[in-house]
Amino acid sequence: MSKFGVDLEVHIASLRRYARALLRNNRADAEDLVQEALTRAVARADSFQAGTNLRAWLFTILHNVHVNQVRSKASRPVEVDVEDVESKLVTPARQEERVELREMMRAVDELPEEQRKVLLLVALEGLKYDEVAEMLGVPIGTVMSRLSRAREAVRAKLANEGGVALRRVK
Amino acid sequence: MSAQRVSEAELHAYVDGQLDGNRRLAVERWLADDPEAARRAEDYRTQTALLHDLFDTVLREPPTDEEQELADRLKGRLAFNDNRPPWHARPLVRFAAAVMLVVAGAGGGWFGRGAQGPSPVVQQQQQQRQTLATFAEEATQAHRFYTADERFQVELGADNQDELNGWLSKRMGRDVFGPDLGRVGFRLIGGRSLPTDLGAGAQYMYVNDGNKRITLFVGAPRSGNASEFSFTQNGDVLTFYWVEGPLAYALAGRLSKEELLQIAKAVYSDVKAGPPRREEPPPQDQRPQDQQQQQQQQDQPAGVQPISDTQKPKDS
Repeated sequence: MSKFGVDLEVHIASLRRYARALLRNNRADAEDLVQEALTRAVARADSFQAGTNLRAWLFTILHNVHVNQVRSKASRPVEVDVEDVESKLVTPARQEERVELREMMRAVDELPEEQRKVLLLVALEGLKYDEVAEMLGVPIGTVMSRLSRAREAVRAKLANEGGVALRRVK
Repeated sequence: MSAQRVSEAELHAYVDGQLDGNRRLAVERWLADDPEAARRAEDYRTQTALLHDLFDTVLREPPTDEEQELADRLKGRLAFNDNRPPWHARPLVRFAAAVMLVVAGAGGGWFGRGAQGPSPVVQQQQQQRQTLATFAEEATQAHRFYTADERFQVELGADNQDELNGWLSKRMGRDVFGPDLGRVGFRLIGGRSLPTDLGAGAQYMYVNDGNKRITLFVGAPRSGNASEFSFTQNGDVLTFYWVEGPLAYALAGRLSKEELLQIAKAVYSDVKAGPPRREEPPPQDQRPQDQQQQQQQQDQPAGVQPISDTQKPKDS
């Protein structure tokens, strides 16, 4: 397999992980988002220039799709989708048995979305700050301040809720 | 070095591995003098590790059919775009395989089923062989995956090896370290912790002057009989694996078997000698192992004989 193919597969794996984290571990929604993003990527493949940053290109597409989805959902009444609830129920619970993981999950969930995005893109997906800035269409200073606020908020929550999480390993 | 003030942004960039060498040094000096900042950096790093623990499992899930089809189409389109030959066939290593990777999936880790209670020795040995083979396979997958994209390579660089080893030891709850492989031409570039059913495993990555990468994967099997070197190969990735003391090791690389064996021997003697800068290795009976393992070691001689085993030609 060529280097190119491996890259694409790794990037798509990373998209799926990011979508899952962004959408609060809702598997069905995350799959929808990734599929929609890939569909758009296929349609726009011509706009991708060989040799440029494939990963950033894919993440930007996914981000734009997500923004549009949020916008169109906001104009519709809130509904509880049975499938959504089910997909949450079938999410493997085992990994969250560790207390600190559960707390981390909750702390991240409670972040404002703009902060959550930056934290996930940087810490989970390892994107460069300037890539995140370009993707979100904000100055890099904004990326840094969101990142800083997100990390401090999570830190405060983990410290409050027992403090087990961060000190456990000492 | 107060002349070189360190900014808030640089603390984050330090944690995220986005600082160049000079500023990294400045931040490290600052952290050495400022325990509160050092705690923050440590907590941020823990957050990152927790995020990976939470969500890396997604990497192991097989893509939906729709996703796979779209991915294949995109590959075709981009490959065309790239003026390269179209993809005639599905990749040898399908996505699911490439990312099954990260150690010990939901379907069962290499640790075996520790909760089954005592079983006959033979059964245990069989079980260990089986779990070690799975361990080696996952080390191989992890190697393939994390050497595929430079950004994925390491979570924490090796600029400060004490920090790297300390952090991974904490994650694993056992003392681990990345041996110095300079004498066989490889330089440690960093490491990452990978989630497993029973806690974290550690992957150290090395590179040589020819930009060849090898990874040393370390795990803590529940029952750790010392074992001889074993060898496995998956595609172009070769892996030697063995158990020493409380830990299992797998060394993976795209090298010839002989080259990799030389390195495995170096790793073996290094980890047996213990971490660098330690005055003397801790006595056997003070190592923090579970009793199960010690008992097993009494049951049979812990004969680790890497040389004799690996001399057997096993590959084609």
